[in-house]
Amino acid sequence: MIRSLIYSITFHSLLVLLTILSLPFMLREPIDLPPIVSVELIQITDKTSIPYAPKARKIIEETKKKEEERLVSEQAPPAAKAKEKPDRIPLPNEKKEEKQIIKKKQNPEEVKPEIRQSSEFEKKEIVDTNQIAALIDKAKEVEAVKKKEKEKITQSSQKNSFATGLTLSQEDALRAQIFGCWSVPLGLPYDKDLLVRIKLQLKKDGTIIKSEILDHQRMNTPGQKFYKVLAESALRAVRLCQPLKVPPTGYDKWKNLQLNFNPAEMLEG
Amino acid sequence: MRKALLFFFINIFLINKSFALIEVDITRGNLDPLPIAISPLHVDIKSENYEGIKIKDLGEDISKIIEDNFRATGLFNPLKKEAFVQKPDIAHLKPRFEDWRLIKAQALVTGKLLVLDGKLKVEFRLWDLAAAKEMTALAFTTTPSNWRRVAHIISDKIYERLTGEEGYFDTRIIYVSESGPKEQRVKKLAIMDQDGANTKYLTLGNELVLTPRFNPTNQMVTYMSYFRNMPRVYLLDIETGTQEVVGNFPGMTFAPRFSPDGKKIVMSFAKDGNSDIYTMDLDTRVVERITDHSSIDTSPSFSPDGKFIAFNSDRSGLQQIYVMRSDGSEVKRITFGNGIYGTPVWSPRGDLIAFTKMRKGSFYIGVMRVDGSGERLLTENYYQEAPSWSPNGRVLVFYRETKSGLKGEGFSAKLWSIDITGYNERRLKTETDASDPSWSSLLTK
Amino acid sequence: MMFNKNLKNILLVIFATLVLSACSTAKKSGNIDGDVYTGKETVEYLASGVPDRVFFATNKSSLTTAARETLRKQATYLRKNKNLNVTIEGHADERGTREYNLALGERRANAARDYLMTYGISGNRIAVISYGKEKPVNPAGTPLAWSQNRRSVTVKVN
Repeated sequence: MIRSLIYSITFHSLLVLLTILSLPFMLREPIDLPPIVSVELIQITDKTSIPYAPKARKIIEETKKKEEERLVSEQAPPAAKAKEKPDRIPLPNEKKEEKQIIKKKQNPEEVKPEIRQSSEFEKKEIVDTNQIAALIDKAKEVEAVKKKEKEKITQSSQKNSFATGLTLSQEDALRAQIFGCWSVPLGLPYDKDLLVRIKLQLKKDGTIIKSEILDHQRMNTPGQKFYKVLAESALRAVRLCQPLKVPPTGYDKWKNLQLNFNPAEMLEG
Repeated sequence: MRKALLFFFINIFLINKSFALIEVDITRGNLDPLPIAISPLHVDIKSENYEGIKIKDLGEDISKIIEDNFRATGLFNPLKKEAFVQKPDIAHLKPRFEDWRLIKAQALVTGKLLVLDGKLKVEFRLWDLAAAKEMTALAFTTTPSNWRRVAHIISDKIYERLTGEEGYFDTRIIYVSESGPKEQRVKKLAIMDQDGANTKYLTLGNELVLTPRFNPTNQMVTYMSYFRNMPRVYLLDIETGTQEVVGNFPGMTFAPRFSPDGKKIVMSFAKDGNSDIYTMDLDTRVVERITDHSSIDTSPSFSPDGKFIAFNSDRSGLQQIYVMRSDGSEVKRITFGNGIYGTPVWSPRGDLIAFTKMRKGSFYIGVMRVDGSGERLLTENYYQEAPSWSPNGRVLVFYRETKSGLKGEGFSAKLWSIDITGYNERRLKTETDASDPSWSSLLTK
Repeated sequence: MMFNKNLKNILLVIFATLVLSACSTAKKSGNIDGDVYTGKETVEYLASGVPDRVFFATNKSSLTTAARETLRKQATYLRKNKNLNVTIEGHADERGTREYNLALGERRANAARDYLMTYGISGNRIAVISYGKEKPVNPAGTPLAWSQNRRSVTVKVN
């Protein structure tokens, strides 16, 4: 009896081990492909799920632009410097800047050096944007708790996705792609419970055969206009993103895919 | 051994199940304004001329108004027409969705119009370009001179369809038009469309007028006038131009506002250095005293259900905001922050109160919940005050005074608007200097 | 030589202007006691030696010693001219909301009126009106201008 149990345990742990080892091995290839790697930069930020990532993303974009402009200019390694003055990193929100300028005619020169500072980051550091993003917001203490919560959630979803057959980077690649396609309806109230779940049926190349909103009846319920707007925006995102960035293998695992769109965190921040 | 087998099967079952459906949480997206293409309306060649209107350009003109409205929201990004890929008439029949998607548009507005027998007929369609389907379509018939309003109504319909909340474009703003040096300002009542068009002056500027406010049906305005050097609250019928003094008070009445049902005016009456809040029923002419306190109680504002009144009072020493039942009972102070608070205005949704705050030489416009919690300051400046809500409760309009020099030179007063998120601050176009804005409700429901 | 002389002159002028301006600013800041204007620059007179206005502190309507003295002079003057009626105009500075300032101006005018009445002037002879912040005497955005605008002014009616 005990012997058979031992057999079973060893056998199963072997099986599990095999799965664990073989899966990432099989899926290592796509990471080397250039397009995915380029998105990877953002994914890592996204993965850690800091509420300020959209802002961070904007910074990255700005930074990239700046970098392209100033490829020639030498840049001192600014790591320490940047950490000295985290507050000086501007919120990359143009409107806010505009407002400040109108407000007090604050010498516009003051704004520019701020922007330049953010451009001093090098690409490698951008990978670290999660930290930067956290630094940007002065209210980070308040958010710190939230961040922790988020990390927990991500961790659990890490396991989840692992078990489901998408590696972290694959899941993040997909997520990052949809982030880019999803124009969040900015007028939505942030205090309402708005979660849109879309079930997708995919072809091998990542194009969509069928998309279905799981709480479809809610869309046409009176008084659920915001839900409808959100659902439509999510559908648009999925369609605009086609073909989705799916792994080259394991079609059976991801041919059915569920996307949960939740804007709460974004609209709040 | 049997048990082991069972274990094995359970294991396989579990693995299978975990492969069943992959869920991916999407918690972030693109926060840029939604790219929208607003195609000029196609003008039917059967259209006849109509006096004073260039029919040929009408399609362009209407789409321009829609475009300006949408750009002003800060939520949408109307795309440049040069990039448009299809002629208006063909696009209106059946857009080539994939072509429009190429210019990064997510929504498309098309339409056509016809002027015939002195009537203007306009129809429009809103398309979801990603889903390749029509989202909404409507047609209107009106007199051609109403074309601007048609443009605003179309804007409202599209806005509502795309955001899930009512629009605010087919509305007007009444305000005080100002001119002359600050010591001798000439002030007139003026009314304009929300986008600054169709300005009309309702008084001549012979006497000082202040703080106009619409009634719920936008037919009547209550305001304060120094007519014959007697500062009193007046009632003005916009259509007929008739005016009357509100009530028969032996002293200054000021700071008027309508109740949400439009039947009462709430205002302050000042006597012997003490200002209290009163209401007058416009049908029965019955005057009721609401507050009785040896302090200055003013700037009253009803909650949208009519059950409460917010006001500011200096009974604690400095100006603070209070809320009471509309019969004057259960007075509660709701502001306790550093600084002085004034001009509470209840939002049309009922969940927020907008206010002016003064602190350390600066003036702020802010919003808070009706119990005073969750204060958010939206904008800071040298001098600004008197917020008024857009009918959907999303935008505030207020006025701001600026000077270019310390001696008061370059003095100017302008209307500004800001989103309750604190974004999208912009100046409203007015023909003259302007102050004390009041936003109407939607002209057509 | 010529150039030097010119330079000297210019310097002299600049120096003189500086001295003068220093004088004037010094004088101005000396015209506010605490928060209340004490100068004479904007003051007019009902009759010789009878100033027409009194000044107030920010957000206050209480009468200062100087204000009481002025009002006593006005009371004496009004007692001598029994047929004269007056209106007291109450004003506020620009650093407050419009509606509150209307009430504040009314309160200030009434403070002055009450004081005149305690000195035997009939309330029937004194009307009050508040202009809030609508009629400043000094449009500038300085503490001095604000203090000059926080005032109640006694104006002859007939």
